[in-house]
Amino acid sequence: MKKFTAMLLTGMIAISMLASCSSGGNTASSDSSSSKESKPASSESSKTSEAASDNGSTASGGSVYYLNFKPEADQAWQELAATYTEQTGVPVKVVTAAGGTYSDTLTAEMAKSEAPTLFQVGNKQGLADWNDYCLDLSGTDVYTQMTTDDFNLKDDDGAVKAIGYCYEAYGIITNKALLAEAGYTVEDITDFDSLKAVADDIHARSGELGFDAFTSAGLDGSSSWRYSGHLTSVALFYEFRDDNVTEQPATVTGKYLDNFRNIWDLYVNDSSADPATLSTSTGDMCEAEFGTGKAAFFQQGTWEYANLVDPEKYGMNPDDLVMLPIYCGVDGEENAALCCGTENCWAVNAKASEEDIQATLDFINWVVTSDEGTTMMADQFGPIPFKAAKEPENVFFADANRLLAEGKYTVGWAFTYTPNTDSWRAGIVTALAAYSADPSDANWENVKTAYVDGWAIEYAAQNG
Amino acid sequence: MEKKSVGSIILTVVFALLSLIWLIPIFEVLINSFKSNAFVNLEPFAFPNAESFVGMDNYVKGMTFGNYPFMQSVGYSVLITVVSVALILLCTSMTAWYIIRVNSFFCKIFYYLCLFSMIVPFQMVMFTLTFTADRLKLNTPYTIPIVYLGFGAGLAIFMFTGFVKGLPLEIEEAAAIDGCGPVRTFFGIILPMLKPTLISVGILQTMWVWNDYLLPYLVLDRTKYMTIPIHVQYLKGSYGTVDLGATMAVIMLSIIPIIIAYAFCQKHIIKGVAAGAVKG
Amino acid sequence: MAKSKKRKASGNSVTSMLIRRPIQKWFPLFILPTFICFCIGFIWPFIQGIYLSFCNFNTPDDATFVGISNYVKALSDPGFVHAFWNTAAFAVVSIILINVAAFAIAYALTQKMWGANLFRTVFFMPNLIGGVVLGYIWSMIFDGILKQYSTYLTANATYGFWGLVILVAWQQIGYIMIIYIAGLQAVPEDMLEAAKIDGANKWQTLFRVIIPNVMPSVTICTFLTLTNSFKMFDQNLALTGGAPQVIANGAKVNMTELLALNIYSTYNINKNWHGVAQAKAVVFFILVAVLAISQLTATRQKEVQQ
Repeated sequence: MKKFTAMLLTGMIAISMLASCSSGGNTASSDSSSSKESKPASSESSKTSEAASDNGSTASGGSVYYLNFKPEADQAWQELAATYTEQTGVPVKVVTAAGGTYSDTLTAEMAKSEAPTLFQVGNKQGLADWNDYCLDLSGTDVYTQMTTDDFNLKDDDGAVKAIGYCYEAYGIITNKALLAEAGYTVEDITDFDSLKAVADDIHARSGELGFDAFTSAGLDGSSSWRYSGHLTSVALFYEFRDDNVTEQPATVTGKYLDNFRNIWDLYVNDSSADPATLSTSTGDMCEAEFGTGKAAFFQQGTWEYANLVDPEKYGMNPDDLVMLPIYCGVDGEENAALCCGTENCWAVNAKASEEDIQATLDFINWVVTSDEGTTMMADQFGPIPFKAAKEPENVFFADANRLLAEGKYTVGWAFTYTPNTDSWRAGIVTALAAYSADPSDANWENVKTAYVDGWAIEYAAQNG
Repeated sequence: MEKKSVGSIILTVVFALLSLIWLIPIFEVLINSFKSNAFVNLEPFAFPNAESFVGMDNYVKGMTFGNYPFMQSVGYSVLITVVSVALILLCTSMTAWYIIRVNSFFCKIFYYLCLFSMIVPFQMVMFTLTFTADRLKLNTPYTIPIVYLGFGAGLAIFMFTGFVKGLPLEIEEAAAIDGCGPVRTFFGIILPMLKPTLISVGILQTMWVWNDYLLPYLVLDRTKYMTIPIHVQYLKGSYGTVDLGATMAVIMLSIIPIIIAYAFCQKHIIKGVAAGAVKG
Repeated sequence: MAKSKKRKASGNSVTSMLIRRPIQKWFPLFILPTFICFCIGFIWPFIQGIYLSFCNFNTPDDATFVGISNYVKALSDPGFVHAFWNTAAFAVVSIILINVAAFAIAYALTQKMWGANLFRTVFFMPNLIGGVVLGYIWSMIFDGILKQYSTYLTANATYGFWGLVILVAWQQIGYIMIIYIAGLQAVPEDMLEAAKIDGANKWQTLFRVIIPNVMPSVTICTFLTLTNSFKMFDQNLALTGGAPQVIANGAKVNMTELLALNIYSTYNINKNWHGVAQAKAVVFFILVAVLAISQLTATRQKEVQQ
């Protein structure tokens, strides 16, 4: 008996030793010989390689693991990563979390021994959650490449913990050709009332025109974030602007919820979809309605451009596309521009090994400086705030810039302040779906509750 | 006698109808897997018509849909199931024999721990199991069978010990007198006698491992490996692109092998399940 | 049943020195691998799980001891309490529905009829399909049906609850039916004959002879459906995922969430909730264990009586 116990104990000890060892040693990659800057960035090659040698470390042995946030960019990242590995021999693993599960996936992956070395922090709250894991990026090569500090996330001490590598805009994507068919131009739409007039008219004549005003306001998980996230953000933005909110508030008032209701009612009423079935209509279906010319308006973002003009998909003519601001009946909104901001901030895992951190920094620097990287970024993300950025062909960014050039104000991404984002949004979606099926005031109260009380609850959950 | 056969005709008809109703959900998936994306949602119960019929397109699309080749998920599911079940059968049958024949204090403790593990829900250990499995690099399809052996040992050992207790000692004693060592005795004599239990345990464990979602979802390095249930859930959850037609095709593809296997060995499966349930 | 076997096990009849000694030498082959895996896959996670339920942690490495505060948070979470009652209601409904239906089908299938084997095969089949896939199939069907009435599955908790009941009934009736068939076939032929001679009608035979004889199967099936309902996760996740989410009395509750899913989603709120989720898991374990043990004692008592 004693012998048994002794043997078994030995076994257990061996296992636990194995466990403690495996957390330290990382993958032995086969690239130790290849020099990391064998094909440096096109434009500023000398500078980057100098900087790299200043740091005195080479990335040999390091590898990159990027936990990507955007499923639609997955393909492009995979290809870019393969190119980088081909050129430098540094292994780059890109993994994309399924939609709506980034925080779950990140939590799970970070607990693993091979944790992501490069991940995404969406907002201040994300930074608060992951601050310990975010490397201070001030002074790194990639940081010095940036043209603006606007999209970066800093901690309380002012250290740059995550860098906004792109920015995006969303609004109401409009098909100018269909608008013309109905006898309107984009100039006719300058505020909520004019938008409503046009949309109501198109909806009324939809039988004769062969298309409707808005696409279905799909509330399936693949589409609902456009409303629970992006549309609520407009209401949040005006509220925060009035109250000079600069950090995550513990409570919100829902002051502009009536405006939110205006635009939501418009989306639901002026579309061909049955309001009772919105909870099952998917993002693909809504996109198809716009892409195939069944609807003139589509609330979406700059990232949608590639899908719409892709000849394999919908093959729309870029000249027919324009993005309008989201009007909802707020005073002075004729001066509003698009909703611009970013949820895309890179953070480097400070708890990764030295080699992996260096490899990761080298990789992102390459992404924003090399020809391949900047081309891919321009295609996928539009304009990026880096010196070597390429001009994107995406017309929606032109709209964003034009409106700003006209001196209009940007509707900032207030949703980045949302506490416990996924859960808060889930509550809004539940309430919105019920309200759409039966648009009574009582049901709108539930939307309000989900918005106002939900915020307080999630704030408490997040910080408790 | 006359009356009885009228009764049984009615019964047969009723049950024939009930069986057909029972199959509707599967049939539903089948018809939708031939319809284009938009029509699955619009008219879920309609047969494919000229407008909505897309032939095998959904199946072709389903193979690569969701940025992960479906066949790869199938491959990993097969690999994990086969290796895990083989490992469980081999190791736990040996252990059960040892426990019964040696019957030491340690064996009894181990046996009671196994009984205990049968009433512990997975939620109790899932978070910590995830950490442990990651540390020990049990997060690949090649090593995850160890986790399955560990977590599934309880029921299997319980079922095997129940059977081994009923085996006559005389045969083994005779073998021992003839100079037959334990290894040869086990593989030559015991294992063949365990066949019925091996089949029951094998079927129960196969059904568990093949359909298991949460354990591989948490333990596997999801970034590289998916199993069929994970794949299906992934398709449902992705942002923006939910192609219902292709998803239906994927579901159909995941059900077909089960139905084929079931058709071939349904007798064993039903017997095994009944035996397992009575024991458990 | 289990007891009588165990009594034999503790006697000397299952082993002898002649066999025992040589086998014992081979313990590294016969028992060690299984035991190590059992430690990895069960014992260690279990112990660590109990420990971590008293900690705040992101990973086990950064755990800090916080006493029972996780348990306080867990038990005062209205979502958890709601999930408990939800699970209890679900268990009661599904136990009754599944057992009655499965018994009725099993009884009919053991009568004289054509194609009984084929029907048995069909009824059992859904049991082979995984919970996630089932959830997906049924959510499509329910949404399709409810659409005719201008509503949808996650519109309210009632739809979600009964949807899950239907799904689980469809999945498990076949399984439970198999056990009842085995039980029915074991009813002694002579007892049935004797009842017939005594002039008992069909119903009398059913209630006085058959049902008392299949009581062991009834206990097993009740127990199986009970534990299955309590551990239900995949189907719950894939069918409604807990939706709809409502706010009542200043707290958020996922109306169709059962206990297992509640534990999982608590863990995913953020790292501050990992400990609470683990505490909930411990409470859940105790609950399931108490149910299982009381069931076992009940079975034993019955066997002693016989």
